[in-house]
Amino acid sequence: MKKILKARETTSFLFLAALFLLVGIINPSFLTLSNISACFNTSVVYTLIAVGMAFAIFVGEIDVSVGSNLGLVAAVVGTMIQNGSNWFAAFAVGICIGAVVGLINGWGVAVMKIPSLIFTLGTNGILRGMMYLQVGAEQVNQLPKAFKDISSMTLVGSFTIYYCCAVLLTLLIHALLTRTRKGRYFIAVGDNAGGAELVGIPATRTKVLAYVICGVLSAIGGIIFCSRIGIVTSLSGNGYEMKAVAACVLGGISLSGGVGSVIGAAIGAVIMASISYLLVFMNFSSNYDNAITGVILITIVVIDALMQHRAAVNNRHARLSARTAASGKEGTK
Amino acid sequence: MKKLLKGPNTSWNLFLAALLVVECVIFGAANPKFLSLARIFTSANSDLPIWYISLFVTFVMITGGIDIQSCAIVGLTSIIIGVAWQDFGLNIWLAALLAVTVAAACGALSGFFVAYCGVQAMVVTLGGSFLYSGLGLLVSALSSTEAYKGISGFPDSFKALTKIKVFGLVPLQIVIFLVMLLAAYLLLHRTKYGRRVFLVGVNPSAAEYSGINSRLVILSTYVLSALAAGITGVIMTSQLGTAKSDLGGSFTMTIITACVLGGTLSTGGKGSALGTALAAIAITLMRFGMPLCFGIHKQYLDIPIGVLLVAVVVGRSLVSNPSVIAWAAGLRAGKKTPAVK
Repeated sequence: MKKILKARETTSFLFLAALFLLVGIINPSFLTLSNISACFNTSVVYTLIAVGMAFAIFVGEIDVSVGSNLGLVAAVVGTMIQNGSNWFAAFAVGICIGAVVGLINGWGVAVMKIPSLIFTLGTNGILRGMMYLQVGAEQVNQLPKAFKDISSMTLVGSFTIYYCCAVLLTLLIHALLTRTRKGRYFIAVGDNAGGAELVGIPATRTKVLAYVICGVLSAIGGIIFCSRIGIVTSLSGNGYEMKAVAACVLGGISLSGGVGSVIGAAIGAVIMASISYLLVFMNFSSNYDNAITGVILITIVVIDALMQHRAAVNNRHARLSARTAASGKEGTK
Repeated sequence: MKKLLKGPNTSWNLFLAALLVVECVIFGAANPKFLSLARIFTSANSDLPIWYISLFVTFVMITGGIDIQSCAIVGLTSIIIGVAWQDFGLNIWLAALLAVTVAAACGALSGFFVAYCGVQAMVVTLGGSFLYSGLGLLVSALSSTEAYKGISGFPDSFKALTKIKVFGLVPLQIVIFLVMLLAAYLLLHRTKYGRRVFLVGVNPSAAEYSGINSRLVILSTYVLSALAAGITGVIMTSQLGTAKSDLGGSFTMTIITACVLGGTLSTGGKGSALGTALAAIAITLMRFGMPLCFGIHKQYLDIPIGVLLVAVVVGRSLVSNPSVIAWAAGLRAGKKTPAVK
């Protein structure tokens, strides 16, 4: 089982490498460290929300409110910092907002048993509306330079502090998910909620926790968005939820729950973020951005589904032939 | 009348009808200007995608799927009309026909992946929404006009299509909606096909074993919703007089809200055309009434609609929650006991 999980991430990673190579062959000037690290660096917000989304998907649900959650946190934190309040107080408020949103989503989905798409769709609308209340027709753009400058500081080579932190966080979460007992609850609940409940896993609490983690990670994403982009409008973060889902799918996470890893989600996020950057090097206009994203997404999931289907059919044939062979032997006896 | 009352999801539809009446009363009391059919019809024009598409997304959701690509198809249809007419010199009606055909083909492609490759509908239509909006951009790049300007200057006969007012009051758009509602209602609740759609949603393998080609049924629902999106694209292009590739862009979530509010079960097997239509109208009235009567800015409308959606699903889940039912029964029993004494 573990090998299969590994294989899924490896496929995504190989795909990313192949993508880079392909662009490198077409335009050799792409293959420099600064270009490649730029692809990773731009993906930092996607990485965080994709890892958060991965939690919701692991437990067999979905959270389409992350985009608005991210936007709301970015707006609140941005306004606070703009008005000269303590940075860490602003961060704490932002993360609390994310956690509360996650808690509400988790309550609706896990406790009230409302289909997750529907419930988070509702909270998405409410959060987006609250964001308009916060920002209105204006923009948050008077952020202190020191705050914006953090985003361009590098830590390892040309990788920014933010991306390094996101990678460390992802690795930490991955370790917790695979090495600790509580961490494995998430996959277990997504794989078979009823079965998990029977063996004593608190399925409801695990789902709520998954949503809280998702909310907190999108809040962190919102803070980084604020610092990186430097401008928050009332449309910031719109549509990010779909990009996060797409990143998870590209990273080999099955939307039916219980399969995949957060590392896959992080790799998927890099693929999602790089596409528009890569197009520049391939001399395509940015018009191709969406179409190519769509084609890649559909191709990957269709191939994945066909391969799974084929594996299932092969398994059934193997079982069937084993059974007929066994009964054939009995017949000769 | 009796038969109508016995129709699908009657109690829910009655609730929605009551909601409509309440909305009319509240908004009408707050601002009498609200109670003008002409004004309501005008405001409905900007919400057409919700009305048209949600009717047929209901079909998709009844089979247990979901369709989040239809808004992308609206834009694609619109820009195809513009480019085919302006840059390829096609007759405007032929261009519209071509665009609707392409829309249906897009739906069929996504439907094929869902039904025959067994990929989750959410993922396929998510990919579809990227792909078709991307195709729209590419088509608009074929044109000599800058994409952000949109293609305009359509012949008057095409623009006049949406200026027609039946009986001098009801715009043609509303008539088309009523025709589509009737078609959806008959198709879903009065034909063999409709029963198959429901059965596939309740239990696909049972449907398959009873001789229904469930894959074809699933595929057909995506074609239907894409067709509705295509028609929406034509109508909106005619109405605005401009072809743009991002037309109808932000309606996806509202369409799903209309379906769910209309009593469609997102897990499949339950839903009604009338319910979706009533819910779509209720949402439009809200989007129209709130700014007019309470001066709420249009951008804040996501809040009441989100609250409405959450309240409805939480309320419905509470009503079907066993502990709440037991509590209500206890309440009733508690009331009865003194009477017995």
